Amino acid sequence: MAVQGKIAALRGRMLRREVSCEEITRAYLDAIEKKNGALNAYVLTTPDTALHTARAVDAKIARGETLAPLEGIPMTLKDNISTKGIETTCCSRILKGYSPIYNASVWEKLAGQNAVLLGKTNMDEFAMGSTCETSCFGGANNPYDLDRVAGGSSGGVASAVGGGMAAYGLGSDTGGSVRQPASFCGLVGLKPTYGAVSRYGLIAYASSFDQIGPITVTAADAAAVCDAICFYDEQDSTSVPRRYEPAAGALEQDLRGVRIGVAKEFMQAVQPAVLKAVEEAIAVYRSLGAEIVELSLSTLSIALPVYYILACAEASSNLGRYDGIRYGYQAGTAGNLNECICRTRSEGFGPEVQRRILLGTYVLSAGYFDAYYKKAQTLRGAVVRSFDEAFAKCDFLLAPTAPVTAFRHGRAAANPIETYQSDICTVPVNIAGLPALSLPCGFDPDGMPIGLQLIGRAFDEKTLLAAAHRFEQATDGAYLCREVLA
Amino acid sequence: MITQEEIRKIAKLAKLYVSEEEIGSLTEDMARIIAFADTINAAADTQEPFDSIQSLQNALREDVVRPSYPQEEILRNVNGGEDGYFRTKQSREG
Repeated sequence: MAVQGKIAALRGRMLRREVSCEEITRAYLDAIEKKNGALNAYVLTTPDTALHTARAVDAKIARGETLAPLEGIPMTLKDNISTKGIETTCCSRILKGYSPIYNASVWEKLAGQNAVLLGKTNMDEFAMGSTCETSCFGGANNPYDLDRVAGGSSGGVASAVGGGMAAYGLGSDTGGSVRQPASFCGLVGLKPTYGAVSRYGLIAYASSFDQIGPITVTAADAAAVCDAICFYDEQDSTSVPRRYEPAAGALEQDLRGVRIGVAKEFMQAVQPAVLKAVEEAIAVYRSLGAEIVELSLSTLSIALPVYYILACAEASSNLGRYDGIRYGYQAGTAGNLNECICRTRSEGFGPEVQRRILLGTYVLSAGYFDAYYKKAQTLRGAVVRSFDEAFAKCDFLLAPTAPVTAFRHGRAAANPIETYQSDICTVPVNIAGLPALSLPCGFDPDGMPIGLQLIGRAFDEKTLLAAAHRFEQATDGAYLCREVLA
Repeated sequence: MITQEEIRKIAKLAKLYVSEEEIGSLTEDMARIIAFADTINAAADTQEPFDSIQSLQNALREDVVRPSYPQEEILRNVNGGEDGYFRTKQSREG
Protein backbone atom coordinates (compact mmCIF):
# COMPACT_ATOMS: atom_id res chain seq x y z
CA MET A 1 0.00 0.00 0.00
CA ALA A 2 1.29 3.46 -0.79
CA VAL A 3 0.90 5.46 2.40
CA GLN A 4 -0.11 9.00 1.61
CA GLY A 5 0.36 11.82 4.06
CA LYS A 6 -2.57 13.51 5.76
CA ILE A 7 -1.36 16.93 4.61
CA ALA A 8 -0.99 15.85 0.96
CA ALA A 9 -4.47 14.27 1.06
CA LEU A 10 -6.14 17.44 2.36
CA ARG A 11 -4.18 19.61 -0.06
CA GLY A 12 -5.17 17.38 -3.00
CA ARG A 13 -8.85 17.54 -2.11
CA MET A 14 -8.71 21.34 -1.83
CA LEU A 15 -6.85 21.79 -5.13
CA ARG A 16 -9.25 19.45 -6.94
CA ARG A 17 -12.02 21.57 -5.41
CA GLU A 18 -13.73 18.53 -3.90
CA VAL A 19 -13.96 20.44 -0.66
CA SER A 20 -13.21 24.01 0.37
CA CYS A 21 -10.67 25.03 2.97
CA GLU A 22 -13.53 26.51 5.00
CA GLU A 23 -15.37 23.16 4.97
CA ILE A 24 -12.23 21.32 6.09
CA THR A 25 -11.64 23.89 8.82
CA ARG A 26 -15.25 23.67 10.01
CA ALA A 27 -14.97 19.88 10.15
CA TYR A 28 -11.92 20.20 12.43
CA LEU A 29 -13.64 22.81 14.59
CA ASP A 30 -16.65 20.45 14.90
CA ALA A 31 -14.32 17.61 15.90
CA ILE A 32 -12.80 19.84 18.60
CA GLU A 33 -16.29 20.76 19.81
CA LYS A 34 -17.21 17.07 20.05
CA LYS A 35 -14.01 15.50 21.35
CA ASN A 36 -12.03 18.06 23.29
CA GLY A 37 -14.14 17.63 26.41
CA ALA A 38 -12.86 14.05 26.67
CA LEU A 39 -9.31 14.59 25.38
CA ASN A 40 -8.47 18.00 26.90
CA ALA A 41 -5.98 18.58 24.08
CA TYR A 42 -6.78 22.24 23.45
CA VAL A 43 -6.47 24.88 26.15
CA LEU A 44 -7.61 27.63 23.76
CA THR A 45 -9.35 27.53 20.39
CA THR A 46 -9.17 30.25 17.74
CA PRO A 47 -12.16 29.56 15.43
CA ASP A 48 -12.49 33.13 14.13
CA THR A 49 -8.85 33.38 13.06
CA ALA A 50 -9.05 29.88 11.57
CA LEU A 51 -12.14 30.61 9.46
CA HIS A 52 -10.79 33.99 8.38
CA THR A 53 -7.61 32.33 7.10
CA ALA A 54 -9.59 29.50 5.48
CA ARG A 55 -11.68 31.97 3.49
CA ALA A 56 -8.53 33.73 2.28
CA VAL A 57 -7.21 30.36 1.07
CA ASP A 58 -10.50 29.58 -0.69
CA ALA A 59 -10.30 32.96 -2.45
CA LYS A 60 -6.80 32.10 -3.67
CA ILE A 61 -7.98 28.71 -4.95
CA ALA A 62 -10.91 30.38 -6.72
CA ARG A 63 -8.46 32.75 -8.43
CA GLY A 64 -6.42 29.76 -9.55
CA GLU A 65 -3.34 30.80 -7.57
CA THR A 66 -0.80 28.25 -6.44
CA LEU A 67 -0.72 27.28 -2.77
CA ALA A 68 2.33 26.97 -0.50
CA PRO A 69 2.87 23.38 0.74
CA LEU A 70 1.12 23.90 4.11
CA GLU A 71 -1.32 26.55 2.96
CA GLY A 72 -4.85 26.02 4.24
CA ILE A 73 -3.96 22.98 6.36
CA PRO A 74 -5.58 23.15 9.83
CA MET A 75 -2.99 22.78 12.58
CA THR A 76 -2.16 23.55 16.18
CA LEU A 77 0.70 24.97 18.26
CA LYS A 78 1.89 23.92 21.69
CA ASP A 79 1.10 26.63 24.21
CA ASN A 80 4.76 27.64 24.65
CA ILE A 81 5.05 28.91 21.06
CA SER A 82 4.35 32.64 21.03
CA THR A 83 1.36 33.83 19.01
CA LYS A 84 0.87 37.57 18.71
CA GLY A 85 -2.34 38.68 20.41
CA ILE A 86 -3.29 35.09 21.30
CA GLU A 87 -2.86 34.02 24.92
CA THR A 88 0.28 31.90 25.44
CA THR A 89 0.57 30.41 28.92
CA CYS A 90 2.96 27.42 28.90
CA CYS A 91 0.03 25.93 30.83
CA SER A 92 1.29 27.74 33.91
CA ARG A 93 -0.75 29.87 36.27
CA ILE A 94 2.11 32.40 36.23
CA LEU A 95 1.46 33.23 32.55
CA LYS A 96 -2.34 33.19 32.59
CA GLY A 97 -3.60 36.17 30.64
CA TYR A 98 -0.23 36.77 28.93
CA SER A 99 -0.64 37.82 25.33
CA PRO A 100 2.64 37.98 23.35
CA ILE A 101 3.34 41.10 21.31
CA TYR A 102 5.24 39.15 18.64
CA ASN A 103 5.02 35.82 16.85
CA ALA A 104 7.52 33.01 17.23
CA SER A 105 9.54 32.82 14.00
CA VAL A 106 8.11 29.40 13.11
CA TRP A 107 4.56 30.69 13.49
CA GLU A 108 5.39 33.91 11.61
CA LYS A 109 6.58 31.71 8.72
CA LEU A 110 3.57 29.36 8.78
CA ALA A 111 1.06 32.17 9.26
CA GLY A 112 2.67 33.85 6.25
CA GLN A 113 1.63 30.86 4.16
CA ASN A 114 -1.90 30.78 5.57
CA ALA A 115 -1.55 27.81 7.91
CA VAL A 116 -4.94 27.53 9.63
CA LEU A 117 -4.38 27.81 13.39
CA LEU A 118 -7.15 25.97 15.25
CA GLY A 119 -5.86 26.80 18.73
CA LYS A 120 -3.18 26.27 21.35
CA THR A 121 -2.58 22.90 22.91
CA ASN A 122 -1.97 21.49 26.36
CA MET A 123 1.47 20.72 27.79
CA ASP A 124 3.28 20.02 31.01
CA GLU A 125 3.83 23.32 32.81
CA PHE A 126 6.82 25.01 31.11
CA ALA A 127 7.38 21.67 29.29
CA MET A 128 8.57 20.07 32.55
CA GLY A 129 7.12 16.59 32.59
CA SER A 130 6.53 13.40 30.64
CA THR A 131 2.78 13.03 31.05
CA CYS A 132 1.20 16.46 30.41
CA GLU A 133 -0.22 16.16 33.93
CA THR A 134 1.71 19.11 35.40
CA SER A 135 -0.40 21.44 33.20
CA CYS A 136 -2.43 23.97 35.21
CA PHE A 137 -5.37 22.96 32.97
CA GLY A 138 -5.11 19.25 33.85
CA GLY A 139 -3.50 16.71 31.51
CA ALA A 140 -4.42 15.73 27.95
CA ASN A 141 -5.80 12.23 27.44
CA ASN A 142 -4.68 9.54 25.04
CA PRO A 143 -6.97 9.04 22.00
CA TYR A 144 -6.28 5.27 22.16
CA ASP A 145 -7.42 5.03 25.80
CA LEU A 146 -8.83 7.97 27.76
CA ASP A 147 -7.61 6.44 31.04
CA ARG A 148 -4.03 6.92 29.89
CA VAL A 149 -1.88 9.99 29.38
CA ALA A 150 -1.10 11.41 25.94
CA GLY A 151 2.54 11.73 27.03
CA GLY A 152 4.55 14.84 27.53
CA SER A 153 5.38 17.43 27.51
CA SER A 154 3.73 18.11 24.11
CA GLY A 155 0.78 15.87 25.09
CA GLY A 156 -1.84 18.29 23.82
CA VAL A 157 -0.43 18.34 20.28
CA ALA A 158 -0.32 14.52 20.18
CA SER A 159 -3.82 14.21 21.62
CA ALA A 160 -5.15 16.74 19.08
CA VAL A 161 -3.50 15.12 16.04
CA GLY A 162 -4.24 11.56 17.18
CA GLY A 163 -7.81 12.55 18.04
CA GLY A 164 -8.44 13.97 14.56
CA MET A 165 -8.61 17.54 15.89
CA ALA A 166 -5.69 18.91 13.80
CA ALA A 167 -3.83 17.67 10.72
CA TYR A 168 -0.48 18.34 12.39
CA GLY A 169 1.00 20.38 15.20
CA LEU A 170 4.23 21.91 16.41
CA GLY A 171 5.58 20.95 19.80
CA SER A 172 8.94 21.39 21.50
CA ASP A 173 11.43 18.73 22.56
CA THR A 174 13.89 19.37 25.40
CA GLY A 175 14.35 15.78 26.58
CA GLY A 176 11.86 13.88 24.41
CA SER A 177 8.77 16.07 24.58
CA VAL A 178 7.89 15.68 20.89
CA ARG A 179 8.98 12.06 20.37
CA GLN A 180 7.51 10.49 23.51
CA PRO A 181 3.92 11.81 23.11
CA ALA A 182 4.09 10.89 19.41
CA SER A 183 5.11 7.38 20.50
CA PHE A 184 2.31 7.16 23.11
CA CYS A 185 -0.35 8.29 20.60
CA GLY A 186 0.76 6.31 17.52
CA LEU A 187 2.09 9.33 15.60
CA VAL A 188 5.29 10.55 13.97
CA GLY A 189 7.31 13.06 16.00
CA LEU A 190 10.47 14.76 14.73
CA LYS A 191 13.03 16.52 16.91
CA PRO A 192 15.26 18.40 14.45
CA THR A 193 18.97 19.07 15.01
CA TYR A 194 19.85 21.77 17.54
CA GLY A 195 20.16 24.90 15.42
CA ALA A 196 17.98 23.65 12.53
CA VAL A 197 14.76 25.37 13.60
CA SER A 198 14.55 28.88 15.05
CA ARG A 199 13.49 29.02 18.69
CA TYR A 200 12.74 32.76 18.59
CA GLY A 201 9.45 33.07 20.44
CA LEU A 202 9.59 29.60 21.95
CA ILE A 203 9.29 30.25 25.67
CA ALA A 204 12.53 28.89 27.11
CA TYR A 205 12.86 25.92 29.44
CA ALA A 206 16.48 24.74 28.94
CA SER A 207 18.04 26.73 26.13
CA SER A 208 20.90 24.38 25.25
CA PHE A 209 18.40 21.52 24.72
CA ASP A 210 15.10 23.06 23.51
CA GLN A 211 14.06 22.42 19.91
CA ILE A 212 10.76 22.90 18.05
CA GLY A 213 9.48 19.93 16.04
CA PRO A 214 6.35 18.59 14.34
CA ILE A 215 3.94 15.85 15.44
CA THR A 216 2.19 14.38 12.40
CA VAL A 217 0.30 11.33 11.17
CA THR A 218 2.92 10.03 8.71
CA ALA A 219 6.60 10.53 7.87
CA ALA A 220 5.65 12.32 4.63
CA ASP A 221 3.68 14.84 6.72
CA ALA A 222 6.67 15.33 9.02
CA ALA A 223 8.89 15.94 5.97
CA ALA A 224 6.50 18.59 4.65
CA VAL A 225 6.45 20.43 7.98
CA CYS A 226 10.21 20.02 8.47
CA ASP A 227 10.83 21.64 5.08
CA ALA A 228 8.64 24.59 6.09
CA ILE A 229 10.18 25.27 9.51
CA CYS A 230 13.89 24.71 8.82
CA PHE A 231 15.27 28.12 7.88
CA TYR A 232 17.98 30.44 9.12
CA ASP A 233 16.77 33.11 11.51
CA GLU A 234 19.09 35.81 12.78
CA GLN A 235 16.73 36.40 15.71
CA ASP A 236 17.90 33.09 17.22
CA SER A 237 21.65 33.22 17.78
CA THR A 238 21.82 29.40 17.71
CA SER A 239 20.16 29.19 14.26
CA VAL A 240 22.67 27.70 11.82
CA PRO A 241 23.00 29.22 8.32
CA ARG A 242 23.33 26.40 5.78
CA ARG A 243 22.09 25.11 2.46
CA TYR A 244 18.91 23.18 3.22
CA GLU A 245 18.06 20.06 1.23
CA PRO A 246 14.28 19.50 1.23
CA ALA A 247 13.15 16.19 2.71
CA ALA A 248 9.71 15.95 1.11
CA GLY A 249 10.96 15.06 -2.36
CA ALA A 250 13.62 12.64 -1.12
CA LEU A 251 11.53 10.05 0.76
CA GLU A 252 11.92 7.15 -1.69
CA GLN A 253 15.54 6.38 -0.86
CA ASP A 254 16.90 2.90 -1.30
CA LEU A 255 17.95 1.39 2.02
CA ARG A 256 20.19 -1.31 0.50
CA GLY A 257 23.63 -1.05 2.05
CA VAL A 258 22.55 1.54 4.61
CA ARG A 259 24.08 0.75 8.02
CA ILE A 260 21.71 0.98 10.98
CA GLY A 261 23.30 0.96 14.42
CA VAL A 262 21.60 -0.77 17.35
CA ALA A 263 23.12 0.01 20.76
CA LYS A 264 22.46 -2.67 23.36
CA GLU A 265 22.19 -0.05 26.13
CA PHE A 266 18.99 1.32 24.53
CA MET A 267 17.38 -2.13 24.65
CA GLN A 268 17.80 -2.65 28.38
CA ALA A 269 14.96 -2.26 30.90
CA VAL A 270 12.46 -2.09 28.07
CA GLN A 271 8.97 -3.62 28.37
CA PRO A 272 8.78 -7.01 26.57
CA ALA A 273 6.14 -5.80 24.08
CA VAL A 274 8.28 -2.77 23.21
CA LEU A 275 11.38 -4.92 22.76
CA LYS A 276 9.47 -7.34 20.51
CA ALA A 277 8.10 -4.53 18.31
CA VAL A 278 11.54 -2.93 17.96
CA GLU A 279 13.11 -6.29 17.05
CA GLU A 280 10.41 -6.81 14.42
CA ALA A 281 11.17 -3.35 13.05
CA ILE A 282 14.84 -4.31 12.80
CA ALA A 283 13.76 -7.35 10.75
CA VAL A 284 11.75 -5.08 8.43
CA TYR A 285 14.81 -2.90 7.82
CA ARG A 286 16.92 -6.02 7.20
CA SER A 287 14.38 -7.15 4.60
CA LEU A 288 14.71 -3.75 2.91
CA GLY A 289 18.43 -4.40 2.49
CA ALA A 290 19.83 -2.44 5.42
CA GLU A 291 22.79 -3.78 7.34
CA ILE A 292 22.33 -3.94 11.12
CA VAL A 293 25.42 -2.99 13.12
CA GLU A 294 25.47 -3.90 16.80
CA LEU A 295 27.35 -1.40 18.89
CA SER A 296 27.67 0.08 22.35
CA LEU A 297 26.93 3.56 23.73
CA SER A 298 28.42 3.21 27.18
CA THR A 299 27.70 6.79 28.23
CA LEU A 300 23.92 6.25 28.17
CA SER A 301 23.96 5.27 31.85
CA ILE A 302 24.95 8.80 32.88
CA ALA A 303 22.72 10.63 30.38
CA LEU A 304 19.71 11.07 32.66
CA PRO A 305 21.38 12.69 35.67
CA VAL A 306 23.52 14.82 33.32
CA TYR A 307 20.36 15.99 31.59
CA TYR A 308 18.43 16.77 34.75
CA ILE A 309 21.32 18.69 36.30
CA LEU A 310 21.97 20.83 33.22
CA ALA A 311 18.32 21.31 32.18
CA CYS A 312 17.28 22.33 35.70
CA ALA A 313 20.25 24.69 36.02
CA GLU A 314 19.21 26.38 32.79
CA ALA A 315 15.57 26.41 33.87
CA SER A 316 16.37 28.09 37.19
CA SER A 317 18.06 30.85 35.22
CA ASN A 318 15.48 31.10 32.42
CA LEU A 319 12.53 31.17 34.81
CA GLY A 320 14.13 33.95 36.86
CA ARG A 321 12.31 36.42 34.59
CA TYR A 322 8.88 35.63 36.07
CA ASP A 323 8.47 38.29 38.70
CA GLY A 324 4.85 39.32 38.11
CA ILE A 325 5.83 42.87 37.19
CA ARG A 326 5.72 43.00 33.39
CA TYR A 327 3.21 40.30 32.40
CA GLY A 328 1.26 37.36 33.68
CA TYR A 329 0.12 36.58 37.18
CA GLN A 330 0.86 38.87 40.12
CA ALA A 331 0.08 37.86 43.69
CA GLY A 332 -2.26 40.32 45.33
CA THR A 333 -0.24 40.79 48.47
CA ALA A 334 0.90 43.43 50.88
CA GLY A 335 4.60 43.89 51.52
CA ASN A 336 7.59 45.09 49.58
CA LEU A 337 8.83 44.23 46.10
CA ASN A 338 10.82 41.17 47.14
CA GLU A 339 7.87 39.69 49.03
CA CYS A 340 5.60 40.31 46.06
CA ILE A 341 8.01 38.54 43.68
CA CYS A 342 8.38 35.54 46.05
CA ARG A 343 4.61 35.24 46.54
CA THR A 344 3.96 35.57 42.78
CA ARG A 345 6.43 32.80 41.99
CA SER A 346 5.28 30.48 44.78
CA GLU A 347 1.62 30.86 43.83
CA GLY A 348 2.25 30.99 40.08
CA PHE A 349 4.55 27.97 39.57
CA GLY A 350 3.30 24.43 40.17
CA PRO A 351 5.17 21.87 42.33
CA GLU A 352 7.21 20.19 39.54
CA VAL A 353 8.44 23.55 38.21
CA GLN A 354 9.39 24.61 41.73
CA ARG A 355 11.27 21.34 42.31
CA ARG A 356 13.25 21.82 39.10
CA ILE A 357 14.03 25.48 39.89
CA LEU A 358 15.24 24.38 43.33
CA LEU A 359 17.43 21.60 41.91
CA GLY A 360 18.84 24.03 39.35
CA THR A 361 19.54 26.67 41.99
CA TYR A 362 21.18 24.01 44.18
CA VAL A 363 23.57 22.72 41.48
CA LEU A 364 24.56 26.27 40.55
CA SER A 365 25.08 27.48 44.13
CA ALA A 366 28.46 28.11 45.71
CA GLY A 367 30.00 24.91 47.03
CA TYR A 368 28.03 22.61 44.70
CA PHE A 369 28.77 24.10 41.28
CA ASP A 370 31.89 22.00 40.58
CA ALA A 371 30.44 18.74 41.85
CA TYR A 372 27.24 18.98 39.83
CA TYR A 373 27.04 21.58 37.08
CA LYS A 374 30.67 21.55 36.00
CA LYS A 375 30.95 17.77 36.18
CA ALA A 376 27.70 17.31 34.24
CA GLN A 377 28.92 19.71 31.58
CA THR A 378 32.14 17.70 31.15
CA LEU A 379 30.15 14.47 30.97
CA ARG A 380 27.96 16.06 28.31
CA GLY A 381 31.07 16.14 26.15
CA ALA A 382 31.59 12.43 26.78
CA VAL A 383 28.04 11.65 25.61
CA VAL A 384 28.58 13.73 22.45
CA ARG A 385 31.83 11.87 21.70
CA SER A 386 30.23 8.46 22.16
CA PHE A 387 27.59 9.38 19.54
CA ASP A 388 30.40 10.55 17.21
CA GLU A 389 32.06 7.16 17.63
CA ALA A 390 28.78 5.36 16.90
CA PHE A 391 28.23 7.34 13.70
CA ALA A 392 31.64 6.27 12.46
CA LYS A 393 30.16 2.75 12.28
CA CYS A 394 26.62 3.43 11.05
CA ASP A 395 24.44 5.88 9.10
CA PHE A 396 21.78 6.21 11.78
CA LEU A 397 20.81 4.59 15.06
CA LEU A 398 17.65 2.69 15.86
CA ALA A 399 16.17 2.41 19.39
CA PRO A 400 12.86 2.40 21.22
CA THR A 401 11.41 5.90 21.76
CA ALA A 402 10.32 5.03 25.28
CA PRO A 403 10.84 1.86 27.34
CA VAL A 404 7.09 1.76 28.01
CA THR A 405 3.74 2.52 26.39
CA ALA A 406 1.42 5.29 27.66
CA PHE A 407 1.11 5.43 31.46
CA ARG A 408 -2.18 5.37 33.27
CA HIS A 409 -3.10 8.69 34.87
CA GLY A 410 -1.57 9.69 38.19
CA ARG A 411 1.59 7.59 38.01
CA ALA A 412 3.99 10.52 37.63
CA ALA A 413 2.87 12.29 40.77
CA ALA A 414 3.41 9.09 42.78
CA ASN A 415 7.04 8.73 41.76
CA PRO A 416 8.86 11.62 40.06
CA ILE A 417 12.20 9.78 39.73
CA GLU A 418 10.60 6.75 38.06
CA THR A 419 8.97 9.11 35.58
CA TYR A 420 12.31 10.85 34.89
CA GLN A 421 13.76 7.41 34.12
CA SER A 422 11.19 6.80 31.38
CA ASP A 423 13.02 9.49 29.36
CA ILE A 424 16.17 7.33 29.11
CA CYS A 425 15.90 6.69 25.36
CA THR A 426 15.14 10.27 24.30
CA VAL A 427 17.29 12.44 26.59
CA PRO A 428 20.73 11.40 25.18
CA VAL A 429 19.74 12.81 21.79
CA ASN A 430 19.09 16.28 23.24
CA ILE A 431 22.37 16.15 25.16
CA ALA A 432 24.17 15.75 21.83
CA GLY A 433 21.85 18.11 19.88
CA LEU A 434 21.13 15.42 17.26
CA PRO A 435 18.01 14.94 15.12
CA ALA A 436 15.70 12.03 15.99
CA LEU A 437 12.30 10.82 14.94
CA SER A 438 9.69 8.57 16.52
CA LEU A 439 7.38 6.50 14.33
CA PRO A 440 4.72 3.94 15.23
CA CYS A 441 6.01 0.35 15.00
CA GLY A 442 3.54 -1.82 16.90
CA PHE A 443 1.02 -2.22 19.69
CA ASP A 444 1.28 -3.71 23.18
CA PRO A 445 -1.20 -6.40 24.38
CA ASP A 446 -3.60 -3.62 25.50
CA GLY A 447 -3.56 -2.13 21.99
CA MET A 448 -1.45 0.87 22.99
CA PRO A 449 0.98 2.19 20.33
CA ILE A 450 4.73 1.58 20.50
CA GLY A 451 7.27 4.04 19.09
CA LEU A 452 10.45 3.32 17.15
CA GLN A 453 13.18 5.95 17.38
CA LEU A 454 15.65 6.74 14.59
CA ILE A 455 18.59 8.96 15.57
CA GLY A 456 20.68 10.66 12.91
CA ARG A 457 23.81 12.65 12.33
CA ALA A 458 23.56 16.40 12.84
CA PHE A 459 21.37 18.05 10.17
CA ASP A 460 20.53 14.71 8.54
CA GLU A 461 16.76 14.81 9.15
CA LYS A 462 16.31 13.75 5.53
CA THR A 463 17.75 10.26 6.05
CA LEU A 464 15.55 9.66 9.10
CA LEU A 465 12.38 10.82 7.34
CA ALA A 466 13.12 8.65 4.31
CA ALA A 467 13.85 5.60 6.51
CA ALA A 468 10.60 6.17 8.42
CA HIS A 469 8.68 6.54 5.16
CA ARG A 470 10.15 3.28 3.82
CA PHE A 471 9.11 1.48 7.02
CA GLU A 472 5.54 2.77 6.66
CA GLN A 473 5.41 1.56 3.05
CA ALA A 474 6.92 -1.84 3.88
CA THR A 475 4.41 -2.42 6.68
CA ASP A 476 1.40 -1.13 4.69
CA GLY A 477 0.88 1.63 7.22
CA ALA A 478 -0.30 -1.02 9.70
CA TYR A 479 0.77 0.90 12.80
CA LEU A 480 -0.31 4.38 11.71
CA CYS A 481 -3.25 6.20 13.23
CA ARG A 482 -5.58 4.82 10.54
CA GLU A 483 -8.79 6.40 11.72
CA VAL A 484 -7.20 9.84 11.39
CA LEU A 485 -5.46 9.05 8.12
CA ALA A 486 -8.67 7.93 6.40
CA MET B 1 21.51 14.34 53.04
CA ILE B 2 20.03 17.76 52.37
CA THR B 3 18.50 19.49 55.39
CA GLN B 4 15.38 21.64 55.76
CA GLU B 5 17.68 24.57 56.48
CA GLU B 6 19.52 24.10 53.17
CA ILE B 7 16.21 23.89 51.29
CA ARG B 8 15.12 27.16 52.89
CA LYS B 9 18.39 28.79 51.80
CA ILE B 10 18.08 27.52 48.21
CA ALA B 11 14.42 28.60 48.07
CA LYS B 12 15.42 32.09 49.18
CA LEU B 13 18.01 32.26 46.37
CA ALA B 14 15.34 31.12 43.89
CA LYS B 15 12.81 33.62 45.27
CA LEU B 16 10.33 30.96 46.30
CA TYR B 17 8.44 30.75 49.60
CA VAL B 18 8.29 27.38 51.27
CA SER B 19 5.59 27.09 53.90
CA GLU B 20 6.01 25.17 57.17
CA GLU B 21 3.50 22.57 55.95
CA GLU B 22 5.48 21.96 52.73
CA ILE B 23 9.04 21.94 54.04
CA GLY B 24 9.03 18.34 55.28
CA SER B 25 7.76 16.67 52.11
CA LEU B 26 9.72 19.05 49.85
CA THR B 27 12.96 18.19 51.65
CA GLU B 28 12.23 14.47 51.18
CA ASP B 29 11.48 15.00 47.46
CA MET B 30 14.62 17.05 46.98
CA ALA B 31 16.74 14.51 48.84
CA ARG B 32 15.58 11.81 46.41
CA ILE B 33 16.16 14.05 43.39
CA ILE B 34 19.64 15.06 44.60
CA ALA B 35 20.49 11.40 45.27
CA PHE B 36 19.53 10.78 41.63
CA ALA B 37 21.78 13.67 40.51
CA ASP B 38 24.58 12.16 42.62
CA THR B 39 24.67 9.13 40.34
CA ILE B 40 26.92 11.13 37.98
CA ASN B 41 29.66 10.57 40.53
CA ALA B 42 29.77 6.95 39.37
CA ALA B 43 31.15 8.19 36.04
CA ALA B 44 34.87 8.59 35.60
CA ASP B 45 36.06 12.18 35.36
CA THR B 46 36.93 13.24 31.88
CA GLN B 47 39.31 16.12 31.52
CA GLU B 48 38.15 17.23 28.11
CA PRO B 49 36.04 20.37 28.41
CA PHE B 50 32.77 20.78 26.56
CA ASP B 51 31.76 24.19 25.37
CA SER B 52 29.26 23.98 22.54
CA ILE B 53 26.67 21.79 20.89
CA GLN B 54 27.19 21.02 17.21
CA SER B 55 30.23 23.34 17.22
CA LEU B 56 28.03 26.41 17.08
CA GLN B 57 29.80 29.67 16.38
CA ASN B 58 28.99 32.94 18.08
CA ALA B 59 26.52 34.91 15.97
CA LEU B 60 27.99 38.35 15.58
CA ARG B 61 26.63 41.22 13.50
CA GLU B 62 26.97 44.95 13.10
CA ASP B 63 25.16 46.98 15.74
CA VAL B 64 22.42 48.50 13.58
CA VAL B 65 19.74 50.74 15.05
CA ARG B 66 16.28 49.31 14.40
CA PRO B 67 12.82 50.25 15.57
CA SER B 68 11.81 48.61 18.86
CA TYR B 69 8.36 47.45 19.94
CA PRO B 70 6.02 50.36 20.75
CA GLN B 71 5.82 51.16 24.45
CA GLU B 72 2.04 50.86 24.51
CA GLU B 73 2.22 47.33 23.12
CA ILE B 74 4.77 46.27 25.71
CA LEU B 75 2.60 47.75 28.48
CA ARG B 76 -0.55 46.04 27.22
CA ASN B 77 0.16 43.02 29.44
CA VAL B 78 -0.10 45.21 32.54
CA ASN B 79 -3.31 47.00 31.51
CA GLY B 80 -1.38 49.86 29.94
CA GLY B 81 0.92 50.53 32.90
CA GLU B 82 1.07 53.97 34.47
CA ASP B 83 2.38 57.05 32.66
CA GLY B 84 4.36 54.83 30.30
CA TYR B 85 5.96 52.79 33.12
CA PHE B 86 5.53 49.44 34.81
CA ARG B 87 4.20 49.86 38.31
CA THR B 88 5.91 47.88 41.08
CA LYS B 89 5.84 47.67 44.85
CA GLN B 90 8.31 49.64 46.89
CA SER B 91 11.61 47.84 47.11
CA ARG B 92 12.14 48.95 50.73
CA GLU B 93 9.81 49.72 53.59
CA GLY B 94 9.37 53.29 54.78
